[in-house]
Amino acid sequence: MLNSVRLQNQSWLKMAEYLQVFRRALGQLRGHGGVKGLMVQLFRANDVKTGALIGVDKYGNKYFEDTRYFFGRHRWVIYTTQMNGKDTMWNVDGSMVPAEWHRWLHCMTDDPPTTHPPVPKKFLAEVHQFNVSGSSQAYVPYSTTSKKIHEWVPPRVQ
Amino acid sequence: MTKRTKKEHEEDSRTFSTGLTASAQVPRCSGQEGQIATSVMLRLPVVSRALVGAAKCSLTPTNNVRTSVRAASNMVEVFIDGKPVEVPAGSTILQACEKMGVQIPRFCYHERLSVAGNCRMCLVEIEKAPKLAAACAMPVMKGWNILTDSEKTRKAREGVMEFLLSNHPLDCPICDQGGECDLQDQSMQFGSDRSRFSEDKRAVEDKNIGPLIKTIMTRCIQCTRCIRFASEIAGVEDLGTTGRGNSMQVGTYVEKMFMSEMSGNVIDICPVGALTSKPYAFTSRPWETRKTESIDVLDAVGSNIIVSSRGGEVMRVLPRLNEDVNEEWISDKTRFAYDGLKRQRLTQPMVKDASGQLVPTSWEDVLTRVAGAFQGAQGSDVAAIAGGMVDAEALVALKDLLNRLNSDNLCTEEVFPHAGAGSDLRSNYLLNSRISGIEEADLLLLVGTNPRYEAPLFNARVRKSWLHNELQVAVVGSNVDLSYTYDHLGDSTQVLKDIANGTHPFCQVLAQAKRPVVVVGSASLQREDGGAILGSVQTIAQNARTSSGVDEGWKVLNVLHRVASQVAALDLGYKAGVESIRKAPPKILFLLGADGECITRQDLPKDGLIIYQGHHGDAGATMADIILPGAAYTEKSGTYVNTEGRSQQTRLAVTAPGMAREDWKIIRAISELAGLTLPYDTVDEVRVRLAEVSPNLVRYDDVEEANYFKQANELSQAVNQVLLANPLVPPQLTAKDFYMTDPISRASQTMAKCVKAITEGADAIDEPSIC
Repeated sequence: MLNSVRLQNQSWLKMAEYLQVFRRALGQLRGHGGVKGLMVQLFRANDVKTGALIGVDKYGNKYFEDTRYFFGRHRWVIYTTQMNGKDTMWNVDGSMVPAEWHRWLHCMTDDPPTTHPPVPKKFLAEVHQFNVSGSSQAYVPYSTTSKKIHEWVPPRVQ
Repeated sequence: MTKRTKKEHEEDSRTFSTGLTASAQVPRCSGQEGQIATSVMLRLPVVSRALVGAAKCSLTPTNNVRTSVRAASNMVEVFIDGKPVEVPAGSTILQACEKMGVQIPRFCYHERLSVAGNCRMCLVEIEKAPKLAAACAMPVMKGWNILTDSEKTRKAREGVMEFLLSNHPLDCPICDQGGECDLQDQSMQFGSDRSRFSEDKRAVEDKNIGPLIKTIMTRCIQCTRCIRFASEIAGVEDLGTTGRGNSMQVGTYVEKMFMSEMSGNVIDICPVGALTSKPYAFTSRPWETRKTESIDVLDAVGSNIIVSSRGGEVMRVLPRLNEDVNEEWISDKTRFAYDGLKRQRLTQPMVKDASGQLVPTSWEDVLTRVAGAFQGAQGSDVAAIAGGMVDAEALVALKDLLNRLNSDNLCTEEVFPHAGAGSDLRSNYLLNSRISGIEEADLLLLVGTNPRYEAPLFNARVRKSWLHNELQVAVVGSNVDLSYTYDHLGDSTQVLKDIANGTHPFCQVLAQAKRPVVVVGSASLQREDGGAILGSVQTIAQNARTSSGVDEGWKVLNVLHRVASQVAALDLGYKAGVESIRKAPPKILFLLGADGECITRQDLPKDGLIIYQGHHGDAGATMADIILPGAAYTEKSGTYVNTEGRSQQTRLAVTAPGMAREDWKIIRAISELAGLTLPYDTVDEVRVRLAEVSPNLVRYDDVEEANYFKQANELSQAVNQVLLANPLVPPQLTAKDFYMTDPISRASQTMAKCVKAITEGADAIDEPSIC
């Protein structure tokens, strides 16, 4: 008797769980603006989670929080699609997060810069500069070993 | 064949079979004769000797030095550690032991130098003799039992080693000789395991003997090998000893350079680290380097070398034994110009942009440009000039390509007279007597050449023969220092004419010669009257042959070339000299390593295209529109034919730098893009093609005999060129002309230092003051 009640109870709980999942899926579908938005989100961020929008920085990057997720996955950024004239729809880079949001995003603080504006520091970059690693502008320290082969440099034509 | 020569031949073969006969004549080996006696055996480093042993003696090529006594039957039986061995009378104990494969330690003894007998390391016990004997200097007697491993002998070696080490610094970890040091090896093998020495060691001041050889004289064990090398092989009496006993020092008496074109060899013969290479100092250890057996191309001798490389970089160049070419010596240019391989290199293809500036580009770009130019060209629009260091593979590929464009306008930079038989008869342009053949000659006439700087190893052979065989040398040309004495007959062409006519007093000497040799320098054939000079020399050679009555196999006429590629180019049918190009300027000029500036842009039409393929940015690259980077001789497997006509091959020691590629492959790529694909894809297929054109090119290490001297002489009679009055002056007169002669040595800083040291003195070179 008791057993059957418990079983009934459990199956009801299970039903509620499924309902919860279904409701969240619906929320995500709605939160990202339909199927298309959901797919874009999935392909850009590899994730479709929704959360509370904590703030938007000056470049348009959106910062979300959902404490139901495990610590470390509970804050995230959805990058802007265009930044300083560069198309960042697909080519996003971690350095696009400005310093003030970086603190909050990495859980160094619980106070987002929307409620606690950062103290202005002159070393903080005014305008974001893209990371040049892997490009021809990347910094390469000069070699301290001598060259094995010294190539011929043709004489300059005036 | 005359009776006499038949006898000679028999004796030669006997010498070969015993390997010891040449030493039969001198009981105690000292001075010049001793050198002959001792030069037969021991050619491998000490450590490997024990392994080779007895078999080596019979394999050792015969020494061509003629000896007065050849007593094959005059054998004596001696016992080495109780085992009997038959050796020619007069052999030293050391030679008898070598025949048995028993290794006697030694420092001062060197098979190509006279016997000094001063290191005492080779002391052995002779049974029933009261005292130990120095094996290198003691001739064997019948029935002796020589004990090479007795208690007494071992104690003697230990004692000698202890004395040597008492004054030798223990700096093996920082010594450049470490790993290839005779003292290191022999102290491990024969020395005591402990030292009883507690006093202070002697110290000797280092000498500055030039930019090539570093001296750390404290390490010197006074074996005097370097002194004997300088005075006997190099022919400069610069080195000697001062003081005696503990204060004996090897040096130059006064501060001066060791001035010889062969000076680097003392680094090899020094058994310790007293004389080491300055450019190589502290760069690598012998066990780190990969050794590649190769050929030198900086002169026409084709010295055999070992290229030591580490990490794709040539670390040094060492000589390799070849009795017929360079024995075991190499010239300083061969040894030290390797740093030129790392400087001024062409590492990527270049084209001239709109402003006339050469800019780097890709292979696709240059190859399509060159192929496009070739596609639009008629036969007479294209011409090619081959330089002095091009391998035969590239030469044949370029010739095939241009022939497919209906052009046969392929020239070499080096001029050779066309008059008479010209380069049609191979005997006209070879050193027919061969380098080793000089040792059999009794009279040598040098015409317009300075072999000391044009071919130092050839000159060393002449000096050897002059020293040991009383070779008589006469020179028509400038009065230069050849390191031996000679009759200077004058430098005017009139002398040549007189000798050819038989009116010169020297003709009597020439007529008495049994085995005369006439050597004409390639430089003197490059004058306007080259044909006439070659004609006169041919007449002289033909007359000398007739008067001497020497057999048909003996060659009299010789041409001494100065660049490595010339013989192969002439064998392949290149025209010698760029006269035809100057007469009919082509639209497209292909320079294959041609840096001689014999054709300049002014000689070509205004819109002429110059393509340069080569490995160094030198004169050719500077005037080119398109540059194709090729490989230098250490970076490819190439065929080179030396001045004797001996074909030899270089081997790949390091890869070509950057985008540079092997030369024949570049030409093959161009041919494919131009729609004229050459029918070879691998180097072996190129060599099959070489064999089609001239089979001697792929018979490596073999000299193809050339003949038709008489016919060549008859053809030259028809030449109506007159000898000019200009004196016969070889281009390299003094030592400072020797060092920088080609793109590699011109790019070499070491060679530049040599020139500076000669002109301004050894102190003018700043060296880092380490060690």
